[in-house]
Amino acid sequence: MTWLTVAKKDFRDAVQSRALWALVGVFVLVSLLSTYAYVEVPEMFGSPAGATFGGLLFFTVGLTGLFVPLAAIVVCYKSLAGERELGSIKLLLSLPTTRGQVLAGKVAGRAAVLAFGLGVGLVVGLGFGSLLLGTFDAVAALTFVLVTLAFGAIYATIIVSISATTGSTSRATTLSLGFFVVFELLWDVVPMGILYVVEGFSFPTTMPDWIFPVMQLAPSSAYFSTIVALLPDLADTVGAEPAQTGVGVEAGGTDTGFEGFFTSPEVGIVVLAFWLVVPLAIGYYRFAGSDL
Amino acid sequence: MTAIELEGLTKRFGDVVAVDDLDLTIQEGEIFGFLGPNGAGKSTTIDILLDFIRPTDGTATVLGHDAQSEGLAVRSRTGVLPDAYHVYDRLTGRQHVEFAVEMKGVNDDPEALLERVRIADAADRKAGGYSKGMRQRLALAMALVGDPDLLVLDEPSTGLDPNGAREMREIIRAENDRGTTVFFSSHIMEQVEAICDRVAIIDRGQLVAVDTIDGLRNATETGETLYVYVADELDETVLERVRGLEGVAAASIDDGRLRVRVGDVSKFAVLHAIDEVAGVQDFSVVESSLEDLFVRYTNEPVEVEA
Repeated sequence: MTWLTVAKKDFRDAVQSRALWALVGVFVLVSLLSTYAYVEVPEMFGSPAGATFGGLLFFTVGLTGLFVPLAAIVVCYKSLAGERELGSIKLLLSLPTTRGQVLAGKVAGRAAVLAFGLGVGLVVGLGFGSLLLGTFDAVAALTFVLVTLAFGAIYATIIVSISATTGSTSRATTLSLGFFVVFELLWDVVPMGILYVVEGFSFPTTMPDWIFPVMQLAPSSAYFSTIVALLPDLADTVGAEPAQTGVGVEAGGTDTGFEGFFTSPEVGIVVLAFWLVVPLAIGYYRFAGSDL
Repeated sequence: MTAIELEGLTKRFGDVVAVDDLDLTIQEGEIFGFLGPNGAGKSTTIDILLDFIRPTDGTATVLGHDAQSEGLAVRSRTGVLPDAYHVYDRLTGRQHVEFAVEMKGVNDDPEALLERVRIADAADRKAGGYSKGMRQRLALAMALVGDPDLLVLDEPSTGLDPNGAREMREIIRAENDRGTTVFFSSHIMEQVEAICDRVAIIDRGQLVAVDTIDGLRNATETGETLYVYVADELDETVLERVRGLEGVAAASIDDGRLRVRVGDVSKFAVLHAIDEVAGVQDFSVVESSLEDLFVRYTNEPVEVEA
């Protein structure tokens, strides 16, 4: 169980980083400002019928969907590549542990750091929102916070795994930002591009079925779908649709107009599981096989 | 029993052969010095022992376990002071040792270990602010956690002042007295000479010598050298006569003096004989150091004897 020791050490180390505290500060601030903005002018942020706690939650999803990936990159990109570049990994791997345990410990430690920062920001933001609104939905809030922390943990896994593939922090930065750009910023375009190429450089009149799961592949889309899947009633009442989440999150395939399993919000949970397992497997394979 | 056994160990990085077909056996209880100039392949070999890097060919067996497939078992019984490592800047010295204690699953007292390497007064300061020597002491404290059966120390005296290097040697000796095998690398002969039972010299990835310190001295034509200033003019005839004297193994003219290597007789007898030939004015005695030997081994192409 050396992974737990590694995780604890890593947490201890990372919580002393100024970058983390700057991040928490920014998140708390953004959280307060956006909550205030939503409550004051709800019609601008997807709740034309007026501000509700549920509406605030789904509005905040749009924010965390963007913030979590960026925060994960800041907190995690150096986790292993940095240790290899500096040489502290030698001190660590001289001890009776394995590379698998170190990777697991790093993921757990950084996920905890991220959860800590997100937790503080969300509690402050939602607390502030419920004060302004005078309502509070404990079940919905708890579900939202837990899914968001899980999403944070999954993003920590992705970025730590990317960091595990290389011994250079500049390469880790490039790969992490590349991942973000491709899977978060451009992902509504990329599947269309694939479709365009597959169909012989033209768009078909009807969308083939496979396009929907592909569009759902962006982690933040899957995160949004998961929240919709777990809070279906709330999603119905606030009319939460991907297009309305605004702020950088482009989720596809959750529109209930489409048929089949791949179009149901539950697929988000499957996609999140995919993002937990696949990067870890690749990261482990690369890390375990490399010369330090 | 053998503590470390290398068989045909080879490591290539692209076109560069860092370690070339190394065979080496180190017995339990030895203090073994691994000597070579910078870039000779010492750290690469040690990195393979610890499974930081994987050999291209051959095997490394440490404490009876394969270094690659059973690395965890190896490191459970091994204390390591790595080369080119870095401490965790934001953690204190005490936190570093506590971490090692927890990782090794033992009950050592961090305070006592920090005391032993003499940085207890800095225990609660962040290691990022430590000097190079203090970091080296901290890494040594981490290596000593759990009373390892084998200590692998890569350039242990790096960053230490002479006093620190002496303390390091004392700790190595004390650990060895307890039964710990010590394998350490250095590019400085003097440090190895002072403490090692046996030495291997490595150059450009290849072993050029493995022997005891005395064995190394004997195997090479070292011994004592006399430098003699004589009253007479130094020329070839004088030199020839000196060479003919009993107990003179070799003689040459060096910077206006006679340089005489003494064989199996007393220096006094040789000096007396030279005095009769050319009239001794002054002399000095130099015991050829292993440093010279090391320089010779690693600068000239040397045939390795089987």
